[in-house]
Amino acid sequence: MKTYPLAGGQNLHQRWITEYGTQQVSNVSCVASLQAALDFGLLKKCIQLAYERNECLRIRFPAPDADGQQLQYIAPVHTGDISYKDLSGMTMEEARVLMQQWAYETIDGYDRSMCDIVMLKLPEGFDGFYVHADHRLLDAIGLGYVISDIIRLYCHYRFGSEMPEEPASFTRQLEKDLQKQTSSKRFEKDCAFWDESFDRLGEPLYADIRGLRILQESRAAHDNKKMRSADIELKNTHVEAKKFYLEAASARGLQDFCLNHQISITNFLLLGLRSVLSKFNAGQEDITIKNFISRRSTKSEWNSGGSRTVCFPCRTVISPDTEFLDAAYAVQDVQNSVYLHSNMDPTVLDDRIRERFGTPEFTEYNSVWLTYQPAPMQLSDEHINAIPQYIEWFPNGAATKKIYLTVSHVSNGEMCFSFHYQTAVHTEADMELMYYYLMRILFKGIEEPDLTIGQIMEQV
Amino acid sequence: MSAANNDRFIELIREYSNTDLEITGEVRFREDLSFSSLDFMSFLGELEDAFDIEIDLERAKNLVTVQDALDYLTELTD
Repeated sequence: MKTYPLAGGQNLHQRWITEYGTQQVSNVSCVASLQAALDFGLLKKCIQLAYERNECLRIRFPAPDADGQQLQYIAPVHTGDISYKDLSGMTMEEARVLMQQWAYETIDGYDRSMCDIVMLKLPEGFDGFYVHADHRLLDAIGLGYVISDIIRLYCHYRFGSEMPEEPASFTRQLEKDLQKQTSSKRFEKDCAFWDESFDRLGEPLYADIRGLRILQESRAAHDNKKMRSADIELKNTHVEAKKFYLEAASARGLQDFCLNHQISITNFLLLGLRSVLSKFNAGQEDITIKNFISRRSTKSEWNSGGSRTVCFPCRTVISPDTEFLDAAYAVQDVQNSVYLHSNMDPTVLDDRIRERFGTPEFTEYNSVWLTYQPAPMQLSDEHINAIPQYIEWFPNGAATKKIYLTVSHVSNGEMCFSFHYQTAVHTEADMELMYYYLMRILFKGIEEPDLTIGQIMEQV
Repeated sequence: MSAANNDRFIELIREYSNTDLEITGEVRFREDLSFSSLDFMSFLGELEDAFDIEIDLERAKNLVTVQDALDYLTELTD
């Protein structure tokens, strides 16, 4: 069986599994269902076919090699059963609680399937399936693609809809990614970019919504007054989620502003978040936020599944005298450069930073991580579009990040700001504070883009 | 620029654009091919690797159409 190293996006999860000592941190779980009676015999066949068509679902991990390196291979066939569970006797809330519990279950062991798909009969007439997998196999978009593949296969065989196109080869894309990651010219260019930024700006500096005291506490704990990174929470990974919904009209206003000024929504959000942190850290100008990038641009990258989401620091040093719009463009310039140099394995970059600055182990320069998801997941086929859908992602219950913000669009036009936070570190009140000032800063800037960042931070 | 390089350039645009639109010089990356910032930067990275060039990001901001990109690429490769 041919084995491969892990690609960058996979290595991120591998590192978290190693650091936190549990595979739970790498779980990804989702239910997808329709309010209709499904033919479960046919659905089972479609799921089996999806396992055959989507190589990433058959990724397995052997025991680490002699050097401790984790490799992967693709099993020729999926050998697990596709089971069926009837939860229709429960209330929907009881069913949700049960599905949430499943999301916490670890997928341990080597040379075994890392993806389990269970067919479900749910309350309130919903039928569908639940996917519980390891994030090293696929990210949210990859999982969305597989779910869509299953549904489109079902609609093809059930209703005669067009057969969904064959997915692109995961292994061919993996080989391409690995080649890019390790190609000496590309790697040298990417390293040169990051080295130059650190030559120019020096070591990054931590900032927390709870203010300057957090870094000061880490400095005291490490007996190092000059330390610029702060301790992470390793032991207690319990997580809660706080969601906020920006009403449709305001969400439209935000999007229109971005469109009219040619600023991407991601960069606009990054500007807002770094300004909130600056405000709560005595106007600190040097702020780092880690931004997740889903590296899917070509057709093969979109349709090959896999875990292609990587994250890199978005570090900006912005003077308070900078006008709001100019600050947005400054963030955009930084992010564009990051995009151009995002082929390298992000764990390799992390190691280079730590080595360069002697960063203490288990400390970080950022307290906030951002993911922006522009497209809501929707099961789509002419034969099912009018049928109510129930789709839900279930958090794995083991947070590796102090604050992880996912911004997405809801089908009614609202925008959802979902803050996942480590309860050992943060409270719900911290998330309310963060969201409140994020909105105040962004909308003040929308109203008066000629104001400086400093003026906006003062006035909100 | 050679015909082979020109073909490779168009092939790369097709790979990144996920569209059957005819690729002519007037086609705009953002408005017509729906390139996001990430798509466009990834595409420029691909050009750097395929043609062994170094792209100036300040110049890249002015690349609105396929012809703009082709002219810049010709400048870098000739």
